[in-house]
Amino acid sequence: MYIIKNAFISISRNKGRNILIGIIIMVIAASCAITLAIRSSADKIVTSYEKKYPIEVTIGMNRANLTQSFKDNNSSQEDMIEAFNELEPLTIEEIEKYGDSSYIAKYHYTYSVSLNGKDIKEATDSLVKETTTTKTETETKTETYETPAPSRDGNMPPFDRENSGSTSTKKSTTQRKTTTTQVENIRNERAAKGVFTVIGYNSYEAMSDFINGNYTITDGEVSDDFDANNCVISEELATLNELKVGDIITLVSPDDEKITYDLNITGIYQENTDSASDMRNMFSNSANTIITNVTTVKDIVSKDEDANPTVTPTYILKNKDDVGAFEVEVTSKGLSNYYMLNNNLEVVENATKSVLSVKNFATTFLIITLIIGAVVLLVINMINIRERKYEIGVLRTIGMKKSLVGTQFTLELLIVCLTFLVLGAFIGGFTSVQVSNKLLNNEISNAKEDIENISNNFGGKMRDFNRNEIGVQELETIDSIDAAVDMKVLAQLLGIGIGLTLVGSAASMIAISRFSPLDILKERS
Amino acid sequence: MKKEIVLKIDHVSYRYKDAPKDVYVFKNMSYTFETGKVYVIKGKSGSGKTTLLSLISGLEKGYEGKIYFRDRDLSRIKLDKYRNSDIGIVFQSYNLLVHLTASENILLSMNINGMKEKNKKERVIELLESVGLTKDHANRRVLKLSGGEQQRVAIARSLSYNPGIILADEPTGNLDRETENDILKIFKDLAHKDNKCVIIVTHSDNVAKQADEVIELTSQKKKD
Ligand SMILES: Nc1ncnc2c1ncn2[C@@H]1O[C@H](COP(=O)(O)OP(=O)(O)OP(=O)(O)O)[C@@H](O)[C@H]1O
Ligand SMILES: [Mg+2]
Repeated sequence: MYIIKNAFISISRNKGRNILIGIIIMVIAASCAITLAIRSSADKIVTSYEKKYPIEVTIGMNRANLTQSFKDNNSSQEDMIEAFNELEPLTIEEIEKYGDSSYIAKYHYTYSVSLNGKDIKEATDSLVKETTTTKTETETKTETYETPAPSRDGNMPPFDRENSGSTSTKKSTTQRKTTTTQVENIRNERAAKGVFTVIGYNSYEAMSDFINGNYTITDGEVSDDFDANNCVISEELATLNELKVGDIITLVSPDDEKITYDLNITGIYQENTDSASDMRNMFSNSANTIITNVTTVKDIVSKDEDANPTVTPTYILKNKDDVGAFEVEVTSKGLSNYYMLNNNLEVVENATKSVLSVKNFATTFLIITLIIGAVVLLVINMINIRERKYEIGVLRTIGMKKSLVGTQFTLELLIVCLTFLVLGAFIGGFTSVQVSNKLLNNEISNAKEDIENISNNFGGKMRDFNRNEIGVQELETIDSIDAAVDMKVLAQLLGIGIGLTLVGSAASMIAISRFSPLDILKERS
Repeated sequence: MKKEIVLKIDHVSYRYKDAPKDVYVFKNMSYTFETGKVYVIKGKSGSGKTTLLSLISGLEKGYEGKIYFRDRDLSRIKLDKYRNSDIGIVFQSYNLLVHLTASENILLSMNINGMKEKNKKERVIELLESVGLTKDHANRRVLKLSGGEQQRVAIARSLSYNPGIILADEPTGNLDRETENDILKIFKDLAHKDNKCVIIVTHSDNVAKQADEVIELTSQKKKD
């Protein structure tokens, strides 16, 4: 069609006008591309955060329900403490039953039991030591004896500590006013229950204390053999008992001194948490935690029928929206209402809040840009049409149809708009690579650091560890434009451009049909 | 050559919409135009010459009476098609597209007409040569041509699709006597050799002298 050729000639012979329109389109396109890229970077960061901090659900005691049931029964505080102790612990079967759910991506658990040591001394909490050493020769420690699940702490993510911590706090407050005799009693009672907490993990992934840096290996490593009789002990315990990597410790059942277990020390860990800020450590001593694997603990339990093991599960949800549904499901599967589900939803959402607000800002900016762009384009097009009135007049007098004149003008605008749109998208693309990488770089270096730290925490051994599980490799810098301005973004821009052009040419169509060619020509002469 | 009526103005009255109610440019005007003749429309400035051409070319509507093109009522035919194939208009102010070259202007008219001819470009050169322009003129932007040259381009454009009627509004208004005679020669040849109907609006007595028929328009009339 000759009008296509006409359009091209017209564009090339009226460069000034078309470059003006083009620059406006280019600026709009570039800023759209940048904002779209910011939005997609924000999405990437949010996804990476969600991978890094998966939605974890743990099971803890429901203190409110417990207290309420005792208030209802007019029971004394002693009864209540008793009840806490009697609370039926979770079993592995139960944990697996809850884990077998369509909402769950995966789950892991710790299995723990309390034992006494043979020829090894327990580490003592300094706070208690101060108040008690004058009266007692032996090293005593106010362990949270009433906590039925000492191992619960073992795999408790930070958000959950407060809950279990407060349980200990309240009771231990009473405990702190103890007399010497009471300390003696406690000691005996503690010995009866076992002073060492032996926690079994089933994978590196489950060992959140090492992942989040609470514990770091200072000597040796965490063995990757999750079936062997290996263990990792605290630096404090090692120093106290002059133990080193390669030594064997012997643990004794608190119920029967004849039942013993030998564990091979593969590593020594150091605890990094600030004890003062961690309520748990005031009254318990995590230095007495001996870390091993689930198989070993199962083995111990099978030898000692009086053992009172505890299971602490961590469920990782597929989708953060399923928290409520999972809770309903677990309840329907029979979880006692003395237990409750805790989750880290708030922590995860807080982490992504600021990124999401950047995204919202970008969206607003995009809309404003589009509105301003549309208005400016419309105005320019009107001015353009007025300027080309004479041309319209001539074309109409020599017999060109209105619709064809309109089509040619639209075509011209479309060619100019699309050319500069693509140009703008490229410029915006180049810029947004920089912008996106600025946004992403921080996240990426954090992620890289994480990998290194975690590897160190385990004593350098990461063979089995699936790094993607903690989202550390999810982010990568963008090094090509098509990554920042992907096809979807380009398509969106194209749609926007065509939309704006059509709005512009609708205005010109109306103008063309209104003009009388004769009047236009007369105006000219 | 056989002469036939191509255009018939039948009791046409016309007044501009924004003119006073009783002020008519024409009142009950009737004329017939035949092929093979050069008509000259004379009259004082403001007598309605341009207006008459506008009515004939279908650019101005809303007149009383009828105008026929070969028995077809102008108000009932497609005016775009009529303008791009049946009549060629040469305006007082040339009305060329200034961003195009001389040959592009002519080519555009041929394209609008929808001519299927293969060697259009050769025909453009022939046309330009027939009105006394060279290849050099052909590829120049029209703004870089003189008034007389632009007028010739406008004439060449009006002939490009071979229409039966040529309408020219003061085609020699800005030209010297010699050039005027050159252009007039072209128009006379078109009428007498190609059997076209040529209607020229002019003030020039020189042009009027050479016409086959002269129509004198008198000034504005009031309708009773
Ligand atoms: N668009 C218009 N609206 C109202 N009146 C008009 C319009 N165009 C022309 N007229 C009037 O109509 C009359 C005829 O005008 P026209 O242009 O036909 O004159 P003309 O004979 O061509 O004059 P000239 O020789 O100066 O070109 C004039 O009185 C003019 O004022
Ligand atoms: Mg006139």
